[in-house]
Amino acid sequence: MHSAIQQQLNILDYGLHSLWQKKGKNLAVFLIFSAVIFLLASFQFMSASLGKTAEHLLKTVPDITVQQLLAGRQVPLSTESVEKLDLIFGISDIRLRIWGYYFDESNGANYTVIGSSAPATDPLLESLLVSGRYPTEDENHKVVLGDAVIQNLDLQNRTHFSLFRPDLSQISLQRVGVFQESANLLTADLMLMGLEDARDLFAMQENEITDLLISVGNPVEISTIAEKIANALPGSRVITAQQIQKTYKAVFSFRSGFGAACLLASLAAFVILAFDKALGFSREDQQEVGILKMLGWQTRDIMRLRFYESLATAACAFGLGISLAWIHILFFDGILFRPIFLGWSVLRPTLTIIPYIQGRDILLLFAFSVLPYLAATIIPAWRASIVRPDSVV
Amino acid sequence: MENTPQIELTSVHKYYNQGQENEVHALKDVNLSIARQEIVCLRGPSGSGKTTLLCLIGCVFGPSSGRAAVGGKQLQRMPDEFLTKYRRETIGFIFQHFNILPHLSVEKNVALPLLPLGISPREQKSRVGVLLERFGIEHRKNFKASQISGGELQRVAIARALINDPPIILADEPTAHLDSRRSHELMEYLVSLRQDGKTIILTSHDPLVTEHAGVDRIVDVQDGCIVSGSR
Ligand SMILES: Nc1ncnc2c1ncn2[C@@H]1O[C@H](COP(=O)(O)OP(=O)(O)OP(=O)(O)O)[C@@H](O)[C@H]1O
Ligand SMILES: [Mg+2]
Repeated sequence: MHSAIQQQLNILDYGLHSLWQKKGKNLAVFLIFSAVIFLLASFQFMSASLGKTAEHLLKTVPDITVQQLLAGRQVPLSTESVEKLDLIFGISDIRLRIWGYYFDESNGANYTVIGSSAPATDPLLESLLVSGRYPTEDENHKVVLGDAVIQNLDLQNRTHFSLFRPDLSQISLQRVGVFQESANLLTADLMLMGLEDARDLFAMQENEITDLLISVGNPVEISTIAEKIANALPGSRVITAQQIQKTYKAVFSFRSGFGAACLLASLAAFVILAFDKALGFSREDQQEVGILKMLGWQTRDIMRLRFYESLATAACAFGLGISLAWIHILFFDGILFRPIFLGWSVLRPTLTIIPYIQGRDILLLFAFSVLPYLAATIIPAWRASIVRPDSVV
Repeated sequence: MENTPQIELTSVHKYYNQGQENEVHALKDVNLSIARQEIVCLRGPSGSGKTTLLCLIGCVFGPSSGRAAVGGKQLQRMPDEFLTKYRRETIGFIFQHFNILPHLSVEKNVALPLLPLGISPREQKSRVGVLLERFGIEHRKNFKASQISGGELQRVAIARALINDPPIILADEPTAHLDSRRSHELMEYLVSLRQDGKTIILTSHDPLVTEHAGVDRIVDVQDGCIVSGSR
């Protein structure tokens, strides 16, 4: 082998070896760095996963959603309002929906219940069925379940089960289909049923629903039509898809920006610590460098030695941090970060996070953690390297 | 070839911190010639410039003025990088406190001068093995340097100075921290290196060194000047 390459390998080998020999000294920095990477990576993975979720959710938002407000709070909407909308030109379809949450006292779980006037064609649920079928419009007591619901109710292979109405009488239901797992985010906790059944379950009045979902033929007309609907239904809240997207994006980017700032601050603190530690260059370190230089190591060899040491420390910490973050998101649902992203509970209280981890994010994390760390160690490495060889005689 | 001096210093001056307030004129018009295989001892009071002279011969720095030739190469006005490169091929150092790195094994310590020479690990092992065997410390090769005895330590230091097979061995007050038995032992080792064709230069004011039968010549240094023995 060429001796210049062998020389570099020797320096690398020496660096790794002495790092290992002095592992106690580097442990603190290693652990802190791993922890910072862990937080940063968990955060990044979580944002990416939630971003993906949002994308999914927003794709399924109807052109216009109409709800009824009373004293600023949402109350049921009467099906009669549909007739008032008949006169508005440009509406291509109106769908009735009851969207609510069912609290299962036996295991403390919340299920999302959607009662739809046309379950088979609800845009939210397009092609998510893995087995079975959707209830047809005139069928009663038939539901499609997400797998979290099946697990929580401990249904296994049974298809018949019952839920409680508010007065604790029971309503019996039959499972006719299951949602596919890859659509977990949307459907894990979901029970889809006909409008009648949902109304029965929640003990709502004969003609009550929670939302009207309106499709508009021509997208450019959405805002004018929304205005007309608002005028036709006094006290209603009319939300366009665009508004929902804007709101979620604003909330989401505020929250991720806030978190990112916190993490950057901790990263900065860490870099300062690393810098400080490396600057506090002990007498033995100084002695070692003097000896190496006396024995024929060039100034740049010492710089390289330090660089390799920093790189090895940073790379190991990076690997550890990323792995832990991966486990955190994959197996623990990002539990540490849920409070930061709490805003999402407005959207869906039982959001299940599917890890969405891209090579690009890992590169980004590398660029924002390992590179600043290495940069922070350059000055201390240079300071070490200029120790004079004759300082040891 | 035999007659050309191994080391030739002509009108050498050395300043530390030249041009600054704390300037020190450490060597003043030094002329010194040392032949191949000679064993020379530099003697003088503290602060007289012995270590400075040794560093100059050891290519740690060049002269501030004058001419210095070591092993046939002129050192004046050479950049540090050149001096370092030349030093690792030409000079073996034995330090006062031996300067063995305590956290490394005996084997790794002895191999240190080979790393920047780009010698492969396998070659390093075999060369180190030969020397450790010669000095009877083969069985200690995997011990950490902090775990071996003082006598073993000095042999490790000599082995390290010889590992790159340099023509010139330098030792700065090698016996300053040793009892007389160890000092004597060390001198015997050093003098025996003459058989390998080494030129050996020591500094000391220890009579055990200066009066040792193996020492060919004493060079007296005082206040940066050579007062006798320059030849
Ligand atoms: N790096 C340095 N910077 C400035 N002055 C120095 C430096 N090294 C040595 N000196 C000065 O140069 C002079 C000669 O020092 P040197 O170390 O060569 O003496 P020495 O003969 O080896 O002394 P000792 O017997 O105490 O080791 C002294 O006055 C010393 O203070
Ligand atoms: Mg000295």
